[in-house]
Amino acid sequence: MALSFPKSSPLSEGSELLINSHSSAQSHGAAPFYRAVGDEVDIFRAAARRGLPVLLKGPTGCGKTRFVEAMAHDLGRELITVAGHEDMTSADLVGRFLLRGTETVWVDGPLTRAVRDGAIFYLDEVVEARQDTTVVIHPLADHRRELPVDRLGTTVPAAQGFQLVISYNPGYQSVLKNLKESTRQRFVAIELDFPPAETETEVVAHEAGVDAETARTLVRIGNAIRNLDGSPLREVSSTRMLILAGELVAEGITLRGAVHSAIVAVLSDDHDVVQALGELVDSLLPQP
Amino acid sequence: MTRPERFRLLATFVAGKSIDIAEATPGDVAHTNGHIVFVSAGKPLAEQRREALVQSALLGAGSLDRHLVKVLRGRPAVARRYLAVEGRRVLAELARELPLAAGLGLAAQTSSAAESLEIARGRTPVDAAPHWFGVIKPSRLLDSPTESGLRAADSDLQLRVAAGSSEDEEDDDDERADESKILKLFETPLMGSRTLSELLAKMFGSSRSQSDNPAGAELQVGSIRRAKQIGPHARPLPTRIRFTDDSKPGAAVGVSGALYPEWDVFNNHYRPDWCRVIDFPLGVAADVSAAGVTRDDVLRRRLSRIGLGLKVLRGRADGDELDIEALIDLVVDLRSGYSPPEHVYAERRKLQRNLGVLILLDVSGSATDIDPAGVALHDHQRRAAATLTVTLEELGDRVAVYAFRSHGRHAVHLAAIKTFEQRFGAVGRARLNQIQPSGYTRLGAAIRGAGEILKAQAGTPNRLLLVLSDGFPYDDGYEGRYAEADSHRALDELRADGLASLCLSVGPGADTAALDRVFGSASYASAATLSELSPRMDELFLSSLRELAAPTPAISAR
Repeated sequence: MALSFPKSSPLSEGSELLINSHSSAQSHGAAPFYRAVGDEVDIFRAAARRGLPVLLKGPTGCGKTRFVEAMAHDLGRELITVAGHEDMTSADLVGRFLLRGTETVWVDGPLTRAVRDGAIFYLDEVVEARQDTTVVIHPLADHRRELPVDRLGTTVPAAQGFQLVISYNPGYQSVLKNLKESTRQRFVAIELDFPPAETETEVVAHEAGVDAETARTLVRIGNAIRNLDGSPLREVSSTRMLILAGELVAEGITLRGAVHSAIVAVLSDDHDVVQALGELVDSLLPQP
Repeated sequence: MTRPERFRLLATFVAGKSIDIAEATPGDVAHTNGHIVFVSAGKPLAEQRREALVQSALLGAGSLDRHLVKVLRGRPAVARRYLAVEGRRVLAELARELPLAAGLGLAAQTSSAAESLEIARGRTPVDAAPHWFGVIKPSRLLDSPTESGLRAADSDLQLRVAAGSSEDEEDDDDERADESKILKLFETPLMGSRTLSELLAKMFGSSRSQSDNPAGAELQVGSIRRAKQIGPHARPLPTRIRFTDDSKPGAAVGVSGALYPEWDVFNNHYRPDWCRVIDFPLGVAADVSAAGVTRDDVLRRRLSRIGLGLKVLRGRADGDELDIEALIDLVVDLRSGYSPPEHVYAERRKLQRNLGVLILLDVSGSATDIDPAGVALHDHQRRAAATLTVTLEELGDRVAVYAFRSHGRHAVHLAAIKTFEQRFGAVGRARLNQIQPSGYTRLGAAIRGAGEILKAQAGTPNRLLLVLSDGFPYDDGYEGRYAEADSHRALDELRADGLASLCLSVGPGADTAALDRVFGSASYASAATLSELSPRMDELFLSSLRELAAPTPAISAR
């Protein structure tokens, strides 16, 4: 992912060292495609007006990140995204001293920059980060709305427009830790799920650039896998996965080949399961 | 491998519930018993696919519900006509959703199962069903228990067992120990015939003696090899057995074995080369649909604490904080005209997990005891084994699962369900779920055999042998104090070799006194379900690992 820091940042020369924080600023170009399913857009707008922090929940690939992108564009704010990971430390978020010559200089982390500039700060897959790391967002997520930077000995008040958004996948199996209770109670929760078949067909057709018939077949396959009784799979087919398959089709791959590479072979490594899944998927494809 | 396995998910999807697929006996045509669809053996795949499709579609549409099938019983002609009409109807209905069914090009004559039945009972001519429709076997459908076809409810997915009626309390064969003294006579090696002793055991009910009498152990049998020993406590080494066959040497297929000594508490010496322990990979075909494993978040969280800890690494090229000492050194070096690399950061890193666990699962016949809710002890234990294995594997620990049982001292079997090198895939899980208990428990020999595997293959500094058993050693000439002393001795040997051990007794009715004698008070825990133990699993692991005199670097960093 590209690192882009605005030129207004006084120390942006040193920012190429911040490799761990995958931050990107959303450009104010075309609006990201997002189709609302429930009342999530209204809730997000209301929370944004009050500056309330938002917690997004939902399975892998159901559109959490896309939703935030669409909302940031809608509200006309900058979006700074950081993906949580195991080795992330609070310094990766807040900032750190770097050496230049014989001097040390302070470089803001993505969170500090979002607080100063009044951007939307989106912490993706928050549970992947360690709990002691995520505690730094606490003062920002309640009435104080400020970020203490202990290494500088200062406290940065949140600028107008700053909003904190975190996301996580409650059913994610490789997660060792859950979200701390004291963290989660500071948030307004919005639960996202895979959209209904009609909406999902529209999304797949638009995103992948395939015709409605292909999209409908892909969505039917996705729903068949999601609703299997006693499924041997740990994760079900996500909307993102269906879009990937659709993109392969748009590039001229046969529907069968695309579905096998983007869905069947991805969902399991177990040969027997892959074979059984292949049979199920084949029965749902148009017969030759 | 069985080919029809591949239609499992297709059938499950079409029927809307978990369906197994199997090949029918040769010569038989396709049929179903309500939760297994039998496809005709030896037919091409396309043919079998259609057979599986029509049978599971019938199940999914409710065409084989009991009230409908009852009418067909004993009336083969009606059943044939019903199948021809109803099979076309369900496939035509399915064709809207499933292009595969649409490709068959069948037209429906009726709109409901009841209507199809009406036609089948009437006299209107009906087109004969294609051969691949198979047959409806009303007797098999009515025989099969209905509940197995139901969707799994929440309670089925939990480890917790609801307290139910205790109807089979009379069946308990836990009579008092004195009665078995006569039986013991027949269990001695001198009496020779196992068949006889088993017959008597069946007649009188087998039970174990808790007294201090040696079972058959003190009887000297002519076949004992005499050897000059240096001292009574000198432990004989296991003697490797070489498996050679005309075609395949044993090592090539993963079979190995050794003769292990056994501790004779009454004569206070080891019996060298006494027990033959064979370990072999479990190679049975298993259907992957039974690969479900309960997940336990509490357990995962607890176990993730073991062997994890942050450590500050100084003088790094990259990190969160400046390492002031390194910085001062750097500045001094720069001022004196020397430019060293700028390793001036302090970094906090998580230590690697370095725990190897071998789970030794008791699959002896005693594990068939049923608890009040009708769940066998064996089921409790293998579920616990599956959950523990999945959890430890996900946490990145080295883990292996072996099942053990014995039939006398010459046949102690260690079946590898998952070796350290294998992944715990769907097939392994299914094998674990489908393993059937039988035989006896020669615990000491099994512990020695598993200990050797753990020593040789774990490859980690911290090693733990996790025994899932009722802790009650019992075999031919192996019971009471003799067996407990030998098992205890085997665990002592493990500790001397730097391996920790822990016994979990999951399920009802564990004899905690026996567990205490064998494993020592710090190294066992018993509970009705694994989830009761999960909240203190980290303490159990740590307490058994701490017992070791061997260095435990990562364990202390909690």
